[in-house]
Amino acid sequence: MIKTIKLFLASAIAILFFNSSAFAGGHYTGPDLSGQKVTMFGPWLAPEDATMREVMDIFSKATGAEVEYGGSDSFEQQVMIDLKAGSAADLVVFPQPGLAANAAAMGGLAPMGNDIKQLVLDNYAAGQSWVDLSTYADENGNDQFYAIFFRTNVKSLVWYSPDNFEDNGYEIPGTMEELIALTEQMASDGNTPWCIGLGSGAATGWPATDWMEDIMLRTHPPSVYDDWVSNDMPFNDPKVLEAMDFFGSFALNDNYVNGGSKAVATTDFRDAPNGLFTSPAECMMHRQASFIPAFFPEGLEAGVDYDFFYFPAFSTKDLGTPVLGAGTVVAATNDNQATVEFMKFLMHPEPHEHWMAKGGFLTPHKGVDGSKYASDTFRKLGEILTGATTFRFDASDLMPGAIGAGSFWTGMVDYTNGKSAKDVADSIQASWDAIK
Amino acid sequence: MSIVSLFLIVCLGILIFIAYFHISNFILDHFVNNKSKKFSQETSIRAVIFIAPAFIVLFIFILYPVFETVRLSFYDKFGRDFVGLYNYIWAFKDPEFRRGILNNLGWLLVVPTLSTFFGLVIAKLADKIWWGTFAKSIIFMPMAISFVGAGVIWKFIYEYRGPGDVQIGLLNAIIVFFGFEPQAWITIPIWNNLFLMAIMIWIQTGLALVIFSAALRGIPKEMLEAARIDGASEFRIFFSIIIPYLEQTILVIWTIITILVLKIFDIIFAMTNGEWQTEVLANLMYDWMFRGGGDSGRGSVLAIVIMLGVIPIMIWNIHKHREEQKI
Amino acid sequence: MIKKINFSSLLSQLLLLFFVIIWITPTFGLFISSLRDKDLLAISGWWTSLTTTHVNEIYRMSGKEEQIEENGYFIIKGNFFNNVEGKKIQSFGISSKRINQFKIGEIGIFKDKSEVNIFENGDYIWKSLNKFEKKKGKRIFTTSLSPPKFTFDNYKEVLFKEGIGQAFINTLAVAIPSTLIPLIICSFFAYALSWMQFFGRDTLLAIVIASLVVPLQMSLIPILTIYNDIGALFGVAAKSYPGVWMAHTGFGLASTTFLLRNFIKSLPNEMMEAARVDGASHYDIFLRIILPLSIPAFASIFILQFLWVWNDLLVGLVFLDQVPSEIILTAKLKELLGSRGENWEILTTGAFVSMTVPLLIFFLLQRYFIRGLVSGSVKG
Repeated sequence: MIKTIKLFLASAIAILFFNSSAFAGGHYTGPDLSGQKVTMFGPWLAPEDATMREVMDIFSKATGAEVEYGGSDSFEQQVMIDLKAGSAADLVVFPQPGLAANAAAMGGLAPMGNDIKQLVLDNYAAGQSWVDLSTYADENGNDQFYAIFFRTNVKSLVWYSPDNFEDNGYEIPGTMEELIALTEQMASDGNTPWCIGLGSGAATGWPATDWMEDIMLRTHPPSVYDDWVSNDMPFNDPKVLEAMDFFGSFALNDNYVNGGSKAVATTDFRDAPNGLFTSPAECMMHRQASFIPAFFPEGLEAGVDYDFFYFPAFSTKDLGTPVLGAGTVVAATNDNQATVEFMKFLMHPEPHEHWMAKGGFLTPHKGVDGSKYASDTFRKLGEILTGATTFRFDASDLMPGAIGAGSFWTGMVDYTNGKSAKDVADSIQASWDAIK
Repeated sequence: MSIVSLFLIVCLGILIFIAYFHISNFILDHFVNNKSKKFSQETSIRAVIFIAPAFIVLFIFILYPVFETVRLSFYDKFGRDFVGLYNYIWAFKDPEFRRGILNNLGWLLVVPTLSTFFGLVIAKLADKIWWGTFAKSIIFMPMAISFVGAGVIWKFIYEYRGPGDVQIGLLNAIIVFFGFEPQAWITIPIWNNLFLMAIMIWIQTGLALVIFSAALRGIPKEMLEAARIDGASEFRIFFSIIIPYLEQTILVIWTIITILVLKIFDIIFAMTNGEWQTEVLANLMYDWMFRGGGDSGRGSVLAIVIMLGVIPIMIWNIHKHREEQKI
Repeated sequence: MIKKINFSSLLSQLLLLFFVIIWITPTFGLFISSLRDKDLLAISGWWTSLTTTHVNEIYRMSGKEEQIEENGYFIIKGNFFNNVEGKKIQSFGISSKRINQFKIGEIGIFKDKSEVNIFENGDYIWKSLNKFEKKKGKRIFTTSLSPPKFTFDNYKEVLFKEGIGQAFINTLAVAIPSTLIPLIICSFFAYALSWMQFFGRDTLLAIVIASLVVPLQMSLIPILTIYNDIGALFGVAAKSYPGVWMAHTGFGLASTTFLLRNFIKSLPNEMMEAARVDGASHYDIFLRIILPLSIPAFASIFILQFLWVWNDLLVGLVFLDQVPSEIILTAKLKELLGSRGENWEILTTGAFVSMTVPLLIFFLLQRYFIRGLVSGSVKG
């Protein structure tokens, strides 16, 4: 069984941009690997897969190895088939550490050596926390270090069009109470406040889990969040129901959501933000993680055509300014020379800097050149991290795959379709019980 | 992989099999001299040559997995520990499983019946009309399309936009034209199954149509002429003569489509992935096998249930076939 | 009497027409959609494609970098449309709250008293008494009339950019062997089951028929595991083209054998008897007599199996890598269905490209297709 992964407090992630690192900057150079091949399987489809292929090409040019990336919308199912049969790619990019832990418990991953672990400890801010998140129990129950986080994101953000706000005279809300009032204000002005889209192929429902997690962090102390993740607090606890109802106050209100509540689950998460940029605007705000600009219409400029503000906390609850984040973790399924060398490559600043320049990419790597970020917008994201009093990793990503990549997702879809919060929570709790 | 290397691999793959048969038979021919004495032995060896590849394939791809799946259904999620009937008991108590069965039953009741019915009616309508062949082609065409392609086509029909927005889905556009509110069709519980079934009916009616068309030509013309001379309307002829005559064919088509429907997976996978209570057994099986960690024990149970569902129909079908063969 | 027949015949023809229209509308809609300009496609249904559409757009004028001085005014000029023909602006607005505030010909006045003049063809002239200070220009909201626009651009983009061209080739590389190999293997098998005497023949036949029952999902993991073991043993990839060929052969074996056997068994006995008496071996009989006679059956089964493989999704998903060099059309289409939902032009065109081969085969070889289906279900 998978060991529950413990969370960490890491305001130190903020030191992303400035500290020196163990890697010298500049270009990556590697050993000669010509004739060898490295394959990677991940969740990214267009347009992000193109960027990943470019990153892999850097490695290929430097070492002569052949590289290939494949992505899938039903990644979580596909990867299980491959791992069970032993036919997975050399490298697998898990969108959830919980799923990676499942894979490790199945014996599907190859542990990485201490040299790579040391690279993480030296190069990532709050390195130990990242190492902890990449350590899972293998099939014998022993903890091993398996993976590297490549591409992290901040989730507690609301995206909007500054011009539209200006036209309507809206101010950025500093507290949750102000946000609720703003939502009401927008609705009575005849605008639609929110765009929400949960569609994601076989992963439909995950954006709602992000809402839930952000809300949990703002309505209860972090210890409650931790208990929720590990199921020390049952999923159908009233605190969770309260959070779900708060989400419902936005998503189930036909006047508050673009397309009405029925469109929430059928709109793809990649299409949902387009409502910010239509004429007339279909919505004013979109709560989503820092990777979403990759899916905005082409030709838009960060800071000019769109911007973000921090998804605020309740001023009355005295829970500070919590921040939710996550990341994709790259694990290896074998310890071939080329595979291991690629893992080392990922710890070099160059792959990070390449994606940084494209936008929608954040990293805890201390050695990256901060000026390579695509815009001030992303630099601002760092400030959100430094200003965080509490930081938590995405809960559904930490829960075991059957929940975090299964019943939690489908449960939230059912909720937007009219199922009661209690029924949804009960069935999610039932799936927890089923795997214990 | 370049086109050239793909082409070469394809040629190689096919040639290997041709070569196997040719060479092995060639060897047999030339090493067995005295045909009269070792006749039966030669036949036996040749029989082995002929059936070996197919039998090996059959064993590896069909027989072995059946045994393996049965075995796995008695083991835990990783296939490691023996758990007896635990998975079966879980299945019967699981609400998703029950809904899957209910949905499959729904599909089984609606799709074969309607496809067969439409197929028969259209076959009769198109019979002997000058543009009948053209009409049949149109209705038959969806059979050539992949299920995913059908999914895309029907996505354009079922697409939902908010009330007040321009509708780009045909169904909602029609509804709005008549003054009603647009609906997110594939999310409405229970009814969404019917909308998915419509896609299957759209595809399978062609199959029924084609077979009925052939069968209709087999009806003795004299019988029909006699009835017409007696003054019977076409309508009456249809119900009193044609249908009873085609009873056998109707049943056969109905069972074929039933078997196809029992295994239905692609349409639901592409359109809803089982969401909004549309899950059927095949999707559940795929889910349990591969989703969020995977549970081969439970997945196997589902596979077995599907198989068990098909068996009675198959037996009946074969029975009928044997009967016909004896005639 | 004649009148009566005509009336009922007319009625039944109308009913048939009704069915035909319903059946063809979905596909027809997709086809039209794939030929429409992509911006129009996203905002209106295909049934409006022959009419002019109202299109709402937002443009941003250039900023302070582009200004020139003229007659005491500071002016920024430009064109929104970049020479896209056909669109005609009808009205515009300077605020997202009133996007249709001004008609063409009227002058829009901003809060800072600068003026903007918009022309039907997308030209704009922005005048101010004071120097423009901001780098980012102001937004203009246009409502234009866009005439019907059909194009092959979608097809070009899809075939070359989106990897569908490659997926097409991959699918071809999967489908042809997956059809020929079963035919080769099963024809010998079917012949043996029909005309050769050997121990256990009837039992074997029963097993073949019984295996029609097995859903292919059952076989996925056991077979993939075997492939992987073989791969590890020989140092090759578990997921490969030969692997998927054999998988399709395995899944298609039962029905192919069944159909072939029915056909071969129905061939006249006398010819084969005569050949046996003349001393021909079974192999000779097979090659010289059975094979030529079976061409129609082979054609039918070839088409059935080819279409089945071409349209398959699950086997291709599981036994091949989801990388560009191996992904098949149906899997690629499903990927597009999920991730490019709003890029309708890619979806419609991609779907149509994936359908061309089956539809082509269907129209050209309908006779064989139908015969194949019929022979499996109707006696005689």
